[in-house]
Amino acid sequence: MKILVTVKQVAALDDEFEMRDDGRDVDEDFFEEDLNEFDHYSVEEALLIKEAAGDDAEVVIVTVGDEDTDDALRTALAKGADRGIRVWDDSLADADGVAIARVLAKVVEREQPDMVFTGAQSSDFGSAVTGMALAGLMGWPHAAVVCALEYSPGDNTATLRRELEGGLEEIMTIRCPAVLSIQLGINEPRYASLRGIKQAKQKPVDELTLDDLGLSADSIAPASRVRRMYAPEKGQAELITGSAAEQASRLAEIIKELRGM
Amino acid sequence: MASKRPEKYDILFEPIKIGPKTMRNRFHQSPHCIGAGTDRPGFQAAHRAVKAEGGWGAINTEYCSIHPESDDTMRVSARIWDAGDVRNLRAMTDAVHEYDCLAGIELWYGGGHAPNMETRHTARGPSQFVSEFETLTYCHEMDEADIKQVQQYYVDAAIRSRDAGFDFVNIYGGHTYGPLQWLSPYYNRRTDGYGGSVENRGRFWVEVLEKVKKAVGDDLAIASRFAIDTLIGPASVEVEEDGIKLIKMADDLVDVWDINVGDIAQWGEDAGPSRYYRQGHQIPWQRFVKQNSKKPVLGVGRFTDPEKMAEVIRNGELDIISAARPSISDPFLPQKIEEGRLDDIRTCIGCNVCISRWEIGGPPMICTQNATAGEEYRRGWHPERFEKAQSDDTILVVGAGPAGSEAARVLMERGYVTHLVDSAEKIGGHLNDITTLPGLGEWGYHRDYREVQLDKLVKKQRDSQVSLGAKRLTADDVLEYGAEKVIIATGSSWNTDGVNALTHDVVPGINASRPDQVTPEQIFRGEKEIGKRVVILNADTYFMAPSLAEMLSGKGHEVTVISGVELGHYMHFTLEYPNMRRRLIEMNINVIGDAWASRVEEGRIEYYDIWAEGSRREYRGPGKLPRDENRSHQWLEFDTLVLTTGRHSDDGLYRELMARKDEWAKNDIKGVYVIGDAWAPKLMADSTFDGHRIAREIEDDEPQLPLPYKREVSVWGTAFQPDGEHRQEWRS
Repeated sequence: MKILVTVKQVAALDDEFEMRDDGRDVDEDFFEEDLNEFDHYSVEEALLIKEAAGDDAEVVIVTVGDEDTDDALRTALAKGADRGIRVWDDSLADADGVAIARVLAKVVEREQPDMVFTGAQSSDFGSAVTGMALAGLMGWPHAAVVCALEYSPGDNTATLRRELEGGLEEIMTIRCPAVLSIQLGINEPRYASLRGIKQAKQKPVDELTLDDLGLSADSIAPASRVRRMYAPEKGQAELITGSAAEQASRLAEIIKELRGM
Repeated sequence: MASKRPEKYDILFEPIKIGPKTMRNRFHQSPHCIGAGTDRPGFQAAHRAVKAEGGWGAINTEYCSIHPESDDTMRVSARIWDAGDVRNLRAMTDAVHEYDCLAGIELWYGGGHAPNMETRHTARGPSQFVSEFETLTYCHEMDEADIKQVQQYYVDAAIRSRDAGFDFVNIYGGHTYGPLQWLSPYYNRRTDGYGGSVENRGRFWVEVLEKVKKAVGDDLAIASRFAIDTLIGPASVEVEEDGIKLIKMADDLVDVWDINVGDIAQWGEDAGPSRYYRQGHQIPWQRFVKQNSKKPVLGVGRFTDPEKMAEVIRNGELDIISAARPSISDPFLPQKIEEGRLDDIRTCIGCNVCISRWEIGGPPMICTQNATAGEEYRRGWHPERFEKAQSDDTILVVGAGPAGSEAARVLMERGYVTHLVDSAEKIGGHLNDITTLPGLGEWGYHRDYREVQLDKLVKKQRDSQVSLGAKRLTADDVLEYGAEKVIIATGSSWNTDGVNALTHDVVPGINASRPDQVTPEQIFRGEKEIGKRVVILNADTYFMAPSLAEMLSGKGHEVTVISGVELGHYMHFTLEYPNMRRRLIEMNINVIGDAWASRVEEGRIEYYDIWAEGSRREYRGPGKLPRDENRSHQWLEFDTLVLTTGRHSDDGLYRELMARKDEWAKNDIKGVYVIGDAWAPKLMADSTFDGHRIAREIEDDEPQLPLPYKREVSVWGTAFQPDGEHRQEWRS
């Protein structure tokens, strides 16, 4: 029995920051890096299942990132996960969620887990794509934004609740193996103990390349590309008042201004 | 990322000329007591020099007596009576001059407020009066020869100040000391050339300034501290009357004015506690001086925020920011502003616990925020620098209140991998409740500073961690946590059974599990409904009972306090007492003092006068009291009984871990220690000290107990006076 949890090291910004020279991201000197907040919950959910099963389950943490992202991996291992996998190739530097999902799909094929958990989204980019793309690539059942889960190792199905719009929740049963993206608040994530942190340093972490997974750089070409990242100028809001005609005319002016007409 | 200070603060860093001297910026450490005086020159030098290093442009002594006729024993002043004092004060000026900082001395002649309990002199004043501040202290009315003699004391002291290396002398007329007693008709009832008109009442002050200026004015800057309004109306000095008149009379004789308000008997109106006064609270009086003077003006007002400091200078209300308490709380305040590190400022909380030690008379100053204050010389603690960790031991701190958060902060500063764990969602422990009490919001700066610093430290040191909202750790959890050293900082709670300082016993019928009886914690948690008629049974000597009385009265409850100890006794020392009493009266809170409870029944409490047991004491045999039976008991009804009878340590976790010492080795635990209220309930300043101290001494053989500190006491075999004789010399 094995649960695979995909995690991401995310970047939080300092109060003041500068953009990278190519204008496509923030200069990494201004990042504070940490394990994605959502992933604390997905890791905890896996650990709770493992513990409820009398530890008769393996929790494997996988991330895609350079060696700096070992911190995120070790954070998850310190909480009690069994081992880690880190995949990296410089060609992944601009990878989007779909490209990452292609890499993760190969890891899933290799590991053959009974269940895959991802965070509902990453707190830095927030695309909420990776988990569902992974399920699509695998052809596995999936559920996004899971806020409650009943599942024991060996079960053929899991019963879960997921959050919908307008405060609605949906109860569903899903065939396993499946990919579930886990929502904040599903549990109370634990803190690592000092013992956990010390033990995490000894736990095995496989470092894999694209070659190891049988992938070429071409096969993980991102589906999207960031052209420019910028901080929008503040103070652009304007409340348009007056009669309908006046409002329409002011709106037309603004549109012309913005389009440089 | 290092950031630069905002340009709007540049005004705080403009140099300013003061007579023959130039101050490098606008940060002036106001004269303030620390308990060092002249007798502990190492303490004096190190404490002041740390501030010079931290960027203050000028540093002062505390009040410094000019002559044995002005002796404030047991309170500790500095003294500049003779060559021995000059030598000892030289340690301070030399240390301060290591940095680009001026050294000032506040020349104090206490007059009618000086008790002279050590020197046994008789102080002289403008008229004979009995001090409203000091017990049993009368002064002798000066004649003209006396006046010339006392004025010469100032001159001689100023010359000795120059010998000691000071850059400026401050003729101290604040807090109704020295020349202010002459100006104020409250003290000065003379009818000669020194009494009557403001010109006559100001003459003593003007003459002192003339003589001091003549003697040392070419070399030293002359400052004068002036309480511009003594806050008792026309009976004494009012700012727009005698205040600005004296400024005009003496303006040519000073190089800088040092302006405050108030008197000595209620000097909490000057050193305003945050409970009652915000920063800049004296500006409505101070601002008149710049309108009537050609000289730079400096003034205090617990300025903690550079925004406010720059504002009062831009507004033309002051030229220089003077600060005592903010400089104690953060000796590096100017440097942090200069470097734009505003979130590193350890902001003064305005609790006045620093002042309390001077008021108590004798003990060295302590600070709630800055545990290193007063420990610079004797323990070698620098406020901003820490000794590197001396081992790879990891440390678990249980409890993130004032003690635990300070311990974790200092351990992380030293480089120890440290985990701080608390079941609460926020750092601060019981402080998070206290800050909700009337007027105590600013005490939250203590928590905020540690919260910000810990947040930065755990980012720098990834294996360290602050675990908030965590499940309460059991002894098993702690044993298995994986830390080599464990510090327990689990705080204290209010007694639920009435155990108290008077009887050391429970009060029958007191039981905080009942719906109509509450501890402070139960009030903060809002877990019980509070009835209309509230009785607070108190045997605590600090703020909790008066604060709860004020809070509950403000919510419409009818409050009576039965107190077995003087209500808010410690608030005399923090200068909060006078306004606390005024507030109780304003809010119709009934205080039954010198009373304790014999029993409680549903809806009523029986109390008695603690002195009603007869003054005759005689032996009456075993099992019998040596005094008469107390028959003063009476009943009082309540809807809710609030219990501030005493506190006890929450040390269950510590005790269990100590009992399971045989399990330490197999869990790689080297030591378990207890600090703060969990060790014994104490002032927040002392809890913070505990946390700081154990973090500084964690690798020692017995970290539970403090290391010896460097003592400064008289050394037998050496005379204090350079040409003196230490051996006994009888006059016979």
